[in-house]
Amino acid sequence: MNASITERQAALMGMGDSRLRKEDARFIQGKGNYVDDIKMPGMLHMAIVRSPFAHARIKGINKEKALAIPGVYAVLTADDLKPLKLHWMPTLAGDVQAVLADAKVHFQMQEVAVVVADDRYIAADAVEAVYVEYEELPAVVDPFKALLPGAPVLREDLAGKTEGAHGKRYHPNHIFTWEAGDMAAADAALSGAEVKVEQKLFYPRVHPCPLETCGCVASFDPVRGELTTYMTSQAPHVVRTVVSMLSGIPESKVRIISPDIGGGFGNKVPVYPGYVCAIVASIVLGRPVKWVEDRIENLSSTGFARDYHMTGELAATRDGRITGLKVNVIADHGAFDSCADPTKFPAGMFHICTGSYDIPAAYCRVDGVYTNKAPGGVAYRCSFRVTEAVYLIERMVDVLAQKLNIDKAEIRAKNFIRKEQFPYKSALGFEYDSGDYHTALKKVLDAVDYPGLRAEQAAKRADANCPTLMGIGLVSFTEVVGAGPSKICDILGVGMFDSCEIRVHPTGSAIARMGTISQGQGHQTTYAQIIATELGLPSEVIQVEEGDTSTAPYGLGTYGSRSTPVAGAAIAMASRKIHAKAKKIAAHLLEVSENDLDWEIDRFKVKGDDAKWKTMKDVAWAAYNQPPAGMEPGLEAVHYYDPPNFTFPFGIYLCVVDISKSTGETAIRRFYALDDCGTRINPMIIEGQIHGGLTEGFAVAMGQLLSFDEQGNIQGNTLMDYFLPTMVETPRWETDHTVTPSPHHPIGAKGVAESPHVGSIPTFTSAVVDAFSHLGVTHMEMPHTSARVWKQLQASGVKS
Amino acid sequence: MQVKVEKQYPIAAGVEHAWRVLSDVPELAACMPGADLTEKADDQRYKGSIKVKVGPVTAAFGGEIEVLGLDLAGRTIRLQGRGTDKGGSSASMDLTAMLKAGDKPGECVLVGSADVIVNGKFAQFGARMMDSVTDMVLGQFAQNFSAKAAALQPAAAAAESTAAPQLNTQLNALAIVWRLLKDFFAGLFGGRKGGSAG
Repeated sequence: MNASITERQAALMGMGDSRLRKEDARFIQGKGNYVDDIKMPGMLHMAIVRSPFAHARIKGINKEKALAIPGVYAVLTADDLKPLKLHWMPTLAGDVQAVLADAKVHFQMQEVAVVVADDRYIAADAVEAVYVEYEELPAVVDPFKALLPGAPVLREDLAGKTEGAHGKRYHPNHIFTWEAGDMAAADAALSGAEVKVEQKLFYPRVHPCPLETCGCVASFDPVRGELTTYMTSQAPHVVRTVVSMLSGIPESKVRIISPDIGGGFGNKVPVYPGYVCAIVASIVLGRPVKWVEDRIENLSSTGFARDYHMTGELAATRDGRITGLKVNVIADHGAFDSCADPTKFPAGMFHICTGSYDIPAAYCRVDGVYTNKAPGGVAYRCSFRVTEAVYLIERMVDVLAQKLNIDKAEIRAKNFIRKEQFPYKSALGFEYDSGDYHTALKKVLDAVDYPGLRAEQAAKRADANCPTLMGIGLVSFTEVVGAGPSKICDILGVGMFDSCEIRVHPTGSAIARMGTISQGQGHQTTYAQIIATELGLPSEVIQVEEGDTSTAPYGLGTYGSRSTPVAGAAIAMASRKIHAKAKKIAAHLLEVSENDLDWEIDRFKVKGDDAKWKTMKDVAWAAYNQPPAGMEPGLEAVHYYDPPNFTFPFGIYLCVVDISKSTGETAIRRFYALDDCGTRINPMIIEGQIHGGLTEGFAVAMGQLLSFDEQGNIQGNTLMDYFLPTMVETPRWETDHTVTPSPHHPIGAKGVAESPHVGSIPTFTSAVVDAFSHLGVTHMEMPHTSARVWKQLQASGVKS
Repeated sequence: MQVKVEKQYPIAAGVEHAWRVLSDVPELAACMPGADLTEKADDQRYKGSIKVKVGPVTAAFGGEIEVLGLDLAGRTIRLQGRGTDKGGSSASMDLTAMLKAGDKPGECVLVGSADVIVNGKFAQFGARMMDSVTDMVLGQFAQNFSAKAAALQPAAAAAESTAAPQLNTQLNALAIVWRLLKDFFAGLFGGRKGGSAG
């Protein structure tokens, strides 16, 4: 009771404390509860028959041999789903997607039929016994060729529809055109420019490849008429609403439970055909049905990332001041548009592509295209296409710097939005909340001794015997996260608010539930820390629950780094409602007026009398025991938070590479990452998130690729080829930070988890290209594998 | 997945005898390991099948071969073949094969150029082996062709040490892989790569 302020602060383990994660104990002991751990009595197993061809007509499906296998209960095809009108389903992007291929397949590994059997082995055998007869059609894998007159038409189901969900369609394989900014102003800046640069950039198709693949256990109770589904979903409430609308079962009788999830990264946002088929099978058979995909299925058929063909143009003055930006993008969306974006933004937040710079005139245009590939586009920690936008602007600034022979750091500092300009309205329509790029840049350049590095590079370039090419990459990115204000952000019509409900118990512990769902971000710890600081109760006794739609308040889920900005705000607001009631109770207990009370860490103190105080714990008991006359007993609150704006975390990343002149292997000598996410809830967790994102960024920039041959066969869809770095390949990361709180957020926090992925990828490219810049190279396409870098060495005539 | 194959094989027979085998589609098909011609649909078209085994996986492609052109003066045949396998693969091939006179009488050169497209499961999972397997298949084919053509030459049988032409009738890809490994290691030590395939 007489503990000092420091001791009381430490006992809370609240905001700012690097306390250990509460969820780790079960994860590292193998006692997590994932979808594949769920076993229910009478449970059956489902497996999927998939198309071997990218584009073909289905002439017939023969189920006989499969049904004859003992232990097989059902084989379902599109024809079986037709009476339920479930053979097609709506996507998050306003398109429709085949649940099971109806007369035609549109991508290799597309779902054609499902088998349900006693166990996984029988199901696998039954899949091989289903005979599907195909008539091959020419495949379209090049989005540019897809838009040529006379190209094979992919979506016969959309024949004659010239209006899509996002406006006019100009070609049967065209999905949408989306624009932002002022084209006339951008064109004027370009035509009147003293200097212009143009660069084509390709952001290749990659895949998040989370450790846990997608799956579900669907269980329909025919006696109660209730559907319960355990699902790897990053947005369980949205799924509940969609399932209710598709099945006709009232939402109150649909329960979606996202248990522990082994990595989402956007891959677990969409509703996949596997989920729908498992639910239908469970309803038809009256037994629980489990479906869990394998690694090849995950890489080949679930939500991929990127595949943006971008052309950027920058206008500038001779001394490096940017006056205009114009960007055109051809976006390869695959065979169905199931891109997980807020409804009004088919190109996500791509219009953040003016970056950290004060650019007066800008225009961007994105055209979405259908090809014979798996559907998707938004995934892998991209913050809704911010990865693409940041890659574009950071590469363009490097290209401009190279053309003008101005140092990369200098040209950035020259064009940064200045601290005094915030809140800043960008030419493409965002209002950036806060930032201080100059301070962050200086901190990084000083920490790495940037002038020393450039001197070392110059010395190495002058030395013909040096066995390596040294490169320095620099990126200064601004992220946009925290989707988002409901008037502009919605998923299928549901506004993108989020929620928190807190109930404090008589003996001073609490249970809190939110509408988000952690897939490894540490919510059970960080959310408890927010509440701990707001309410003065130890985070250790605050239980955080997410993911069960029957108990958690409605929320839009976790992706795009939105949990801290949106749910974190709801948590603070709900806590403050409780705090306000608690203050009334404390005043009543201490027999003073509320105005005579101060709050200090964990207690209400009477002003000027140190001996008179009541802790929140005391108040909790009183709330159930002796509330003031006329006041309801209990101590709880719920808050739904509709954010007024996005938040804008930012960072400065610097990378030093040494490329072997003989093999093209790139050694990452140093990677310095400074991030500013506003208020920092748990520095250790932030560092962990940064390490994870940087490692993914390293994988994408240096080795990951999902490619297709001319016939649409997917390549690289196994871990034999798809690069997942182990601790052997992964560089050592150095992290740093500045703190520029968000002025509109209740605790000033912005969110951070996607920044390292967004920002690191262009940093690696910047470094690799920088190693060749003295030889006139302005850009190299990713991934920067040794083979590709070696080819550049040959092309540039580098002798080893 | 698309593979372009351009190969030349030395044949132990004169152009005339080699042409008799080249212009006779059933004889030609018999040289292809694992191939079976089952039916002649008309003068230009034949139905058949070919079995390919890669380790434990066997694919049986059933389809047809069409003779697009037979040029006696230029000693050239043009063929198109296509087939599908029930397991979910398909393949097609456009082949031009020509005979050129060799340096010595009783010898000639078979010049082949083919565009092969493989689609479906084989392309997805077998892609990395395509080039080497194609090399080996054509290598075995050329050996069989050479033996057949040589057997047609009078008195050639007496000159040859082996009595009857030994044909490789079954394509076994494990044997191919073993050959590849041996060649690879032989190459490392500067040894000459075995066989006619490069």
